[in-house]
Amino acid sequence: MAKKQPSINTVNFSAKQLMEFDACTRCGECVKYCPTYDAREKNQDIEPRDKLQRWKDFMNKSYGLKAAIFGPEKIPDEEVKKFCDDLYNCTTCGMCGTVCPAGIDTIELWESTRANLVKRGDGPYGKQSLFPKLIDEHHNPYLKDQKDRLVWKTEDIKIAEKADIAYFIGCTAGYNQQVLSVSTARIMNKLNVPFMVLGEEEWCCGSALIRTGQQHINNTPKLAAIHNVEALKARGAKRVIFACAGCFRAAKIDWPRAYGGKLPFEVLHMSQFLAEQLDAGKIKWEKELKKTVTYHDPCHLGRHVGVFEEPRKVLRSMPGIELIEMERNRDEQRCCGAGGGVKAGIPDLAQAVANARVTDAVATGAEALISACPFCRRNLLDGRDELKADITVDDLVVLTANLMGLSTDIKSPAPGAPKETISDMFRTQTIPPKPPKEEKK
Amino acid sequence: MSEGLEIFGKTVFDTLFIDYRVMVVVAIISVLLFLVGMYIQLSKWGRGIPEGTTKPVGAFGALKFIISAMFAKGVGKFLEVLVLDVAFQRRTFKRRKLEWLMHILIFWGWIGLLVLTIVAAAAEFYGPFIKGSGPEFFISVWQSLEGLNDLFGYMLVAGIALAIIRRLFFKGTDIQARNADIDWILIIGLLIVVVTGFYAQDIRVAQDVSRVVISDYPPAFFNNFTVLFHEIFTLLFCVAYLPFSKYLHMMTAPLTLLVNHGGE
Repeated sequence: MAKKQPSINTVNFSAKQLMEFDACTRCGECVKYCPTYDAREKNQDIEPRDKLQRWKDFMNKSYGLKAAIFGPEKIPDEEVKKFCDDLYNCTTCGMCGTVCPAGIDTIELWESTRANLVKRGDGPYGKQSLFPKLIDEHHNPYLKDQKDRLVWKTEDIKIAEKADIAYFIGCTAGYNQQVLSVSTARIMNKLNVPFMVLGEEEWCCGSALIRTGQQHINNTPKLAAIHNVEALKARGAKRVIFACAGCFRAAKIDWPRAYGGKLPFEVLHMSQFLAEQLDAGKIKWEKELKKTVTYHDPCHLGRHVGVFEEPRKVLRSMPGIELIEMERNRDEQRCCGAGGGVKAGIPDLAQAVANARVTDAVATGAEALISACPFCRRNLLDGRDELKADITVDDLVVLTANLMGLSTDIKSPAPGAPKETISDMFRTQTIPPKPPKEEKK
Repeated sequence: MSEGLEIFGKTVFDTLFIDYRVMVVVAIISVLLFLVGMYIQLSKWGRGIPEGTTKPVGAFGALKFIISAMFAKGVGKFLEVLVLDVAFQRRTFKRRKLEWLMHILIFWGWIGLLVLTIVAAAAEFYGPFIKGSGPEFFISVWQSLEGLNDLFGYMLVAGIALAIIRRLFFKGTDIQARNADIDWILIIGLLIVVVTGFYAQDIRVAQDVSRVVISDYPPAFFNNFTVLFHEIFTLLFCVAYLPFSKYLHMMTAPLTLLVNHGGE
């Protein structure tokens, strides 16, 4: 008789991670803070604790003492599939790991479990399965042309051929949120900081694939990371600036792993760069804006890499701006709902979490909700619109540019362009409606 | 034999040859079971095949990995995490004050009693075998530890009382977990250890142990049913059962804190 095989395998896990499943004390601290558990009306299957417990049970059924003596116990495929779906109902925001008394590194654990289940044939979830093909073939997840990487660049923006500083634009800011790329570039120009960009040589940072457990498919994120690092190195970059928190996180944590060691340049987020310039006395505010604002810490900038104070420092220095904190801020912030592939894969969940975060912001009485990540900005705009909340949503860089007396206007917005293309706070532009489709004769 | 149901002038204990030596045998078995259990767990963890590798590292590879990860940021960081996160449970203190108090009382009560037991056992060995003296040395050490023994014992009782009160009257998130009732096994188990432990202590005090030890070594109270039950139950429940139970997290949670450098 053939020996029974375990229903699951241990691919993609380190020994430490398999130990972490056994380290959960089931105290439920993670449950109190999990944004997707809240958004899913406190469905127990979504609890981080419950997921740890279920995989631990799978492991024990497959490789525990009883399995060693009597052979592995069969786990029905539907049970594994259900677990997989619940696992993808997570933005990998890392809140569970932050509050875990046992210090379990949940972000890495969820990503490894996802990769394991993708290899098993259970993951990813919904449209997330398009990421590998899109990013592999187009080097961006939006089906855009590489030639259009600098489509956002306006006449007034000066980009150097060679400079110590490089601006890594990112797919979202480059194609869909041009207000962010023009604002970043104009700030650098105004500060007389020469910068270069990779342009057509810039590839997707790979974050979407890693977060959804698909990094092994064609090795795309690894190849993309090596390509970007080598391209930046070849151009002589000493510092690389990111205005996208997702790309920054990838460059800070994921790229060195792919590259096999320390990157040959320093990476920093635009908020860190602005705080640095502020300290050096180089930023001169030219406008005052009497507004109360609240700041949303992007998970990829805050909890994942620990940048909490620099964006606040910049906001506090702005004339007329009063910063009010949301009840959940810094490392206890509630996720916007877009990360971990949720925006693409489970849009209704992304929307529900965004609604909760916008509600947090509205509760402060602030007139504007500021973030430092284009992905957060997009999802929070969706939350604001669904709730019809009286609050504007924008990026720290856009607000900075405006108060430095710079235009945040992009090239004429294309008809029917997404709302996040232009500034939400400074409505100097409007998006023309999409022309009606001609009826086929 | 000191007590028990007498049949034909002999107690059941005498008939079954049950005396303190059972405790020694159970202790050896418990330690062996603990080691086997931990080996099974290490083998399970050692099955991991991280991205970029092709083979699992196995039980000893896992152990090596865990130890090297603990010291990856230097001895200073290891000691910081050991003291602040493992010993004083900084992460729990930050968010859950009542649970922290409960855990600290149980943890330190338990650790304290364990350390004092080891010290007493060492004195018991050192006196006759190294110092070449009678049981007086052991008795003097034991008597000097009485106060601390009481302190740690009361800490443990207070911690368990808090755990029971929390479970009965405060519906925290831990109680809402699937199969949360399993935690009652731990609470009741510890309660049995503590109650029988205090009873054993009462017997020691009542018999004036120092006198008994000198006149009759090892003392007869070790053969008391409750004392034996206390010793054997404690060994089986707290040592042998640990790696096979849900309470494995008592080992793995501190280990996780150490390998993750305090959860940074």
